[in-house]
Formats: sequence, C-alpha cells, structure tokens
Amino acid sequence: MYGQLIVEGLSIGACYAVFGIAVVIIYKTSEVINFAQGEMAMISTFVAYHILNVYGWPFWYAFIGALFFAVLLGVFIEVCFLRPAKDPTVLGLIVITLGAEMLLMGLASWKWGAEQKDFALPFSFHKTHELFKGVVINDWSIAVFVMAAVLMIFLYIFFRYTKLGVAMRATQQNEHAARIMGIKVERVFSFAWGFSSLIGALAGMFFAARSTLDPAYMMEPFLRAFAAAVLGGLMSIPGVVIGGGILGILENFVGFHWPAWKPIVAFLVIVAVLCIRPSGLFARHYEKKV
Amino acid sequence: MKGKGRFWAVLFTISSLVLWTGIGLCGAPGFDDKEIRIAAWGPQTGPAAPWGSVARAPAVLAAMINEQGGIHGRKLKHFVRDDQYNPAQTKVVVKELVEKEGIFSFVCGTGSAGGLAVKDYLAQNKVIWVGPATSVKEYVFPVQPYLFSVYPLYEDEGSILTKYVIEKLGIKEIGVVYQNDPYGKNGLDGVRQRLDHLKMKAVAEIPVEATEKDLSSHVLKLKSAGAKAVLMWVHPTTGVVLVKTAATIGYKPQWVASNTLSDFELMNKISGGLWEGIITGAFMLPPDSDDPRVVKYREAAKKYAPEERFGVFFMAGIMFTEPLVEALKRVGKNLSTEAVLKALNSMKNFQGVGPKLTWSPDQHQGSDSIQIWKCGPGGKTILLQDWTVNELAHWKKK
Amino acid sequence: MGDHFRVENLSISFGGLKAVDGVSFDVEPNTIFSIIGPNGSGKTTIFNLICGIYHPHSGRIILEGRNIVGLKPDRIARLGIARTFQNIELFGNATVMDNIMLGRHIHMKTGVFSGAFMWWRGSRAAQEEIVHREEVEKIIDFLDLQSVRDQFVSSLPYGKRKLVELGRALALKPKVLLLDEPSAGMNTEEKEDLSIWIKDIREDYKVTILLIEHDMNMIMGISDRVICLNYGRKIAEGLPQEVQKHPEVIEAYLGEEDIFRHA
Ligand SMILES: Nc1ncnc2c1ncn2[C@@H]1O[C@H](COP(=O)(O)OP(=O)(O)O)[C@@H](O)[C@H]1O
Ligand SMILES: [Mg+2]
Repeated sequence: MYGQLIVEGLSIGACYAVFGIAVVIIYKTSEVINFAQGEMAMISTFVAYHILNVYGWPFWYAFIGALFFAVLLGVFIEVCFLRPAKDPTVLGLIVITLGAEMLLMGLASWKWGAEQKDFALPFSFHKTHELFKGVVINDWSIAVFVMAAVLMIFLYIFFRYTKLGVAMRATQQNEHAARIMGIKVERVFSFAWGFSSLIGALAGMFFAARSTLDPAYMMEPFLRAFAAAVLGGLMSIPGVVIGGGILGILENFVGFHWPAWKPIVAFLVIVAVLCIRPSGLFARHYEKKV
Repeated sequence: MKGKGRFWAVLFTISSLVLWTGIGLCGAPGFDDKEIRIAAWGPQTGPAAPWGSVARAPAVLAAMINEQGGIHGRKLKHFVRDDQYNPAQTKVVVKELVEKEGIFSFVCGTGSAGGLAVKDYLAQNKVIWVGPATSVKEYVFPVQPYLFSVYPLYEDEGSILTKYVIEKLGIKEIGVVYQNDPYGKNGLDGVRQRLDHLKMKAVAEIPVEATEKDLSSHVLKLKSAGAKAVLMWVHPTTGVVLVKTAATIGYKPQWVASNTLSDFELMNKISGGLWEGIITGAFMLPPDSDDPRVVKYREAAKKYAPEERFGVFFMAGIMFTEPLVEALKRVGKNLSTEAVLKALNSMKNFQGVGPKLTWSPDQHQGSDSIQIWKCGPGGKTILLQDWTVNELAHWKKK
Repeated sequence: MGDHFRVENLSISFGGLKAVDGVSFDVEPNTIFSIIGPNGSGKTTIFNLICGIYHPHSGRIILEGRNIVGLKPDRIARLGIARTFQNIELFGNATVMDNIMLGRHIHMKTGVFSGAFMWWRGSRAAQEEIVHREEVEKIIDFLDLQSVRDQFVSSLPYGKRKLVELGRALALKPKVLLLDEPSAGMNTEEKEDLSIWIKDIREDYKVTILLIEHDMNMIMGISDRVICLNYGRKIAEGLPQEVQKHPEVIEAYLGEEDIFRHA
C-alpha cells in the first residue's frame, strides 16, 4: 500500500510541480505571485474543451489550440493589466492579479456555465501497468512524469543556451543592467507571462482530466502548486519540482493516516516554510547554481 | 472641497433615511386579486451554480398553472435571485424580494448556510417557506412555524441505503466517505444508525473537503480497509474524483451515493461514463420516467424553458413547489397567510412527484422515505426500489 | 558643431530640484571627454539621460545626427551607447564570463529554436556562439581577468567588479562609452592600469569615451576635453589645464575635499 501511495503522491506531485513552474517563472520575472494563474489555466482548458466538443476537432488540435490561446492570454494580461501599472507596489500587483482572476472566472461562468464538464486526455487512467508486485501506475501518471521530465530538460536548455532564455535570467537578476545591455525587458516580461500561461495550461488539462472541468476547478491545485513553489524557494525550477514531489507524498501519507488533516497540509507547509526558511528548502543549492 | 464633502454627507443621510423608512413602510402582502408572488434564491453564478437550476424551475410550474387560469383566479408570479451561494448575499436578495416585491411564499432555496441566515427573518415577516432544496435539521427541529420541509433527511437516506446494501446486495464490508460538514455527517449518522442496529461497524469512515481534487490516499485507505461497498455523501465533483481514482488502481467496490449525486445524465457525462452501475438514493421520480405527472412536467419544461436541461435538479424545483400549490388550491378564494399555513399543517400523505408528505403543527419534516436508483447505460435511471421508509427514524417516535 | 555626439540644452528636475540645468556639450569622435564636478552636481544624471533611463524635460541628445531623446534604454544600447554604473550593476549570480557574454546579446541572432540546438557543435547557433566567445575572451585577456573568468561576480572584490562591468560594456562594441567613476575603490596601482586601459580602449575599439571621474591625476592624464558641472549647470569647459585653473571651478570645489591639491 505504501508503494502505491508513493506512486500516487509522486504523480500528483509532478502535476503540482509543473503548475508550480508556471508560478515560479512569473514570480522570478515580475516578482508577483500571480493569483490568476489557476484561472488562466482554467480558461485555456475550457478553450480545449470548446474546440473538442463544439467544433468537434480531434484532440491534438484542441490541445495545440489551447496552448496557443494560453500564450496569447498570458501576453494579453501582462500587456493590458500589469504593464500600465506605473511603479506598482507588491500589494498593487497582487490586487491586479486577483482582479484578473475574478474576471476570468466570471468570463468562464458566463461562457460555459458553472456545471461541471468532462475533459479527457488520451492518456487514460483506466489503463494500468504493474510496476512491481501490488504497485500499479496508470497512463495518466506516466504522461505526467514524461511531461515534467521533458519540461525540465527543455527549460534547462532554454535558460542555458537560447538568447531569450539568457535574457530572461539577466532580467530576473538585474532589470536595470539588462536594459542597458540592450535587452528588451518588456518583451521578456510578456514572454514570461505567455510561457508561464502555456505551462499552466498543460498542467490545467491534466488536472481537469483527473477531476472535472468547471470555472472553480483550479483553485485547489493552485494552492498546492504555490506550496510546492514556496517549498522550493519560489525562485528555483529544480526547487519547485522537488517541492512538488515532497508535497505530493506528504499529502498522501497524511491523507492515508489522518484524512481530516489532509486539506491543511499545503497551508501548514506554506506557513512553516515562510516562518522557518523563507528562502525555501534548497536556497543555498540554488544560489550556487544559476 | 469642503462644499463637496457636505453635499455627499447630505446625500448619504437622505438616501439612508429613504432606505430606512422604505424598509419600515414596505413589506407588501405578497398577493392581490390578480397574482400571488413566490420566489426562490439559488446560486446562478459561481462554483455552486449547477444547483441553481432548482430555483428557476418553479417558473415552469407557474406557467402551467397560469395557462389554465391560475389558482382561483390568481396567477402565480415567480422571482429568481442569484445569491452566489453566499449567505450574506442570500440575506440581501431575500430582503430585497420581501420588502420591494412583496413575496407570499418562498420555495426551494438552495444552500444550508444561506437558508439558516434568512429563516428567522422570513418568520419575523410572516413569509412562508416551502420545500428548501436541501435537508437541514435546524429547519425542522424544533418546528419553525413558517417553514415546511419536503426533502428527506440525509440521516434517513443513510439508514435506508445501508440496509439495502447489507440485505439486498449482501455486502457487509462498508466504507463511508463523507463531506466534512453537516450534510456529510448526517449521512454518516444514518449509516451508523443502521449498522448499530445490526451490531455492525463500518470498515472505514473517511472525511473529505468539498474542494479536494486529489483523493488517492482516501481511495487507497478504502481499499486497504477492504471496503466492498462505499457510501458517499460528497460534492458531485468529489464523487467523480473518487470513482476515477479508484479506476486508476483497479479498485472496484459497489459505489453508493446520496441523492445529491443522482443526476445521472450529468454525473455519467462528467465521470466519463464511470457512473454507470452506481446506486444512489432519490427524493422523487426519475426525470426520464414514464409516469404521467413527470411526462406532463417534462413537456411543459420543453415549452416554457426550452433552454433548460430537464435533469434532477430542475425537476426537483417543481417538486418542491407542488405542495404549496396544493395548499393554495385547498384554501380557495379567501387567501391569507394564516389560511395557507393551516392548509399546509393539515397536509396528509400528499404525493406529487416527490415522496409522500405529511405535515402537522408540531412536525414540519414532511417525509421519511426515499427511492433507490441505479445509473444504467448512458445515464438512464433504473429504479431499484420504490419509496422506502426508514423504520429506525428517531424523529418520528416521540 | 560635430554630429558625432552632442548634447543640447539638456534639463531635468526632480521635484523642483534642477539636477541638470541647460547643459550643452559637443564630443569629437574617438576622444576622451571628461565630466567633473562636486558630488550631487548632476554628472550621473546626465549619463542616465543619455542612456534613456531618465527622459529630459527639455533638450536634445544627438548621436550621429539623430536625436535619441525619448527612446528606450534597450534601443539606445542597440544604437551604440554603452555604460558602466557608479554603483556597479552586474548580474551577481553569474560568472565573469557570463556577464561579459551578456554584452554580446544585441549582436546575437540566435532565436529560441536554433538556440535549442546549441549543444550540437555543427549547428549555426554553435558557430555563432564560438565567434562571440572569442570576442569575449579577447576582452577578458585585455582587462587581465583570466584568473577570475569562471568565478561568480558576487564573490569578487570591488575593483575587479568594476572591471567586469567595463568589460561587459566593451562587449557591446559601442560607439560611445560612458564610464561613471570607474576608478572608485581602486588603489593607485590599479588606477594607473585603468588609465592605460582606457587610452587603449579608445585606440583599439575606436570608441568615444565620456568619463566621470574624481581622480584628478587620471583626468589630467587622459582627457582630451573637460567640462565642470555645479548645481546642474556647466560652469567651465576646455582643455584639462584650462578647466583646472578656472576660478569658478576652484570655487565650486571649495569645501569639498581638496582634490586639486594632488593634481
Ligand atoms: N531619481 C532621482 N530622484 C530625485 N532626485 C534625484 C534623482 N536622481 C538624481 N537626483 C538628484 O539630482 C542631483 C544630482 O545627482 P547625481 O547626478 O547623482 O550627482 P553626481 O554628480 O554626484 O553624480 C542630486 O541632488 C540627486 O539627489
Ligand atoms: Mg554620480
């Protein structure tokens, strides 16, 4: 049973991690926790749903379409909501993202209604494979692991070798200096939002396949992804991935032994990390790395 | 600057005076020679909006009645307000309806927190409330003079479903998943009531929060406890996540759920077909039934509210309103709140599309029985057991 | 008036304080042009105006015949103006090499997709990278930074960091290079090296240098022309020796630490 718990914990943890990466990318560039992150993913998933069920196109068209939409949405929010704010305070930025969150949720309720919808991925969770005796893994989990791994490798190459990735890192470290180096900082911000929105949409579709699709379905996963990001120090991509894994396993163990306590594990993790080690579990490790 | 400030202060004072006196003066009687005004609140937007269709359905019943000339010459006028499932908002919309529109009786009314927030206000203003769209013990114990409940108690449902599982299905290993709130706990109480009676014990009792999306540990716990039947009093999404998660690890118990998860068409769709074979309680005839009364409502809904899906929640809105209409008919031309209260209080074994209803001045919990359904292929309803009474119900023995 | 680099009647004020007040000057190509003046006289503000961090309330800044006022800093960088900061602005969590490499940013063509194939030696992106690296290695050699090339910038002493910043600015291959107190925090020996380097930079990179400095030895030694600011206004302009003797300049520096004594 514990083997199965670990598999389940790691697979949901990987999903939190992917979503947490989206949170981290925006935090690193704009220095704001984007409270609209969940709803951006929600709307993008609804777009996939719409393409699938209203236009009746094949899944991969819907998938690509949703990712494309997600990028536009992220850029749109950055350009239209964040950029106009002149010298915003942290609180001001948070209020802006909260506003965007409410707007998106209202929009989804209006367009698709609040009734739950079914959103399926081609990776079925009915199909299971025996890992070793008594421990199974399903296609959904395998797909999540593959997605997380591919994303990690991609991000590594991206930040290391591409002009834009390097520009992003430079902007994170010193916006002033980046500008003077000729880096189009505005473009970097827009890109970060678009990119983060895309990663969020990926995770959003996986979450929807696990439960149901409705305008509020990403609120809970956002909290967990945020906890994973906090565990990892909010700044580090490897950090959030490890944080997601830890959170997933921790939640599942607590949920197995004391189900009533499970919902507050994420809260406790956030509070504990912020009190004891605000820079996250892997702060030192990270500082050397970049 | 100063002048402006004074202007606003004066405006504020005047407007609050108007509002205040308005509150004092109004409170229209709720009916006149031409119409009787009824109303329902319910979430029309936000996460709970799927339950909001209950509040809209009485309009169909009103249209049916009005087409035949109304009740003793008076037409029914139905108002719907969106409270977003937020008790503060429920208060606002109910106050507005009572004081500006003048409401004779509320019907339905979704959400226990919102209902609890307004029930005393309604009683103070002598506004009747029939058929809350949820079962809450505080609505009926002790008796609230203006509030008449139709909805069977989750406790009775739990007891009846448990009995069915043990006696008809022959399953003794019972697990329970319950939402960590009065709804879920009442269901759990019902299961315990039956099990205690049979000197048995559940193999697992697991609380869950309505918003939770990852339930792997819950399901693994059920599996490792060896539960062969799992009874659940949870949010529809929670139910779907439970069933999906169980499928991922090849765990296949008999799932049994509360009537709040009996909208098979919806549940089967959002679970990707996994709802098939699941047993639930039910508080009325199936919406896809051939019963002539149901057929009549279904046709009327198609005519008056073609955009609505005629599912369990929508039809329930009609069912909750039936007894009020019956009482209005019995009262006759000389309409008054007192007369309708008297008619409701003497309702005995009235049956529309819901359970048999009996109200008396000291008992406003109208029913003690449920049906048992099973979700068939494509979300079709299979009737497993007709109206069944909970013979253990403690509230009936005095 | 030359069209190479020119500032006309430049003014900006911060909440009533006229930080820069009607300053004009004209810089010949490939010369070293120094700006001196007491603390708070508006020197750094002029640099911030030139590279687009601030926008002047009036005046024009002409680079090769074109008014660059109103352009964004990244645009101005691409047009060929690079700078160093008085209070070093480096990418602290990156190595010396990486920092200087960032100076090459505007010269890179690599997009996201081709960049992703950087690891493959034969790719165009890898070829391009090699060219940029050579350029950067030259700068590292030139500024004598080989020993620290792979160290994190945040771990370096102040003087070295100033050099990294200079190297990074050079990597942009600018037409005009703005140096804001480059010798601050250096000892006499390092300052002498720096003087030689600045002269070499002008020769090797064919660049025009605007220099803000407090060290009068250095100013006298390497400047082609000098202006002096006081309270945001230009009070003197000319050859180094002329400005040094200018009565208003001497007056402006009274009360300040007496830097002229060393000159
Ligand atoms: N962003 C700003 N806001 C307000 N005042 C400023 C700003 N930048 C510079 N100043 C003021 O302008 C004046 C000139 O500053 P600066 O150009 O830094 O002088 P320095 O000649 O020492 O480099 C100073 O009084 C400084 O306080
Ligand atoms: Mg300065």
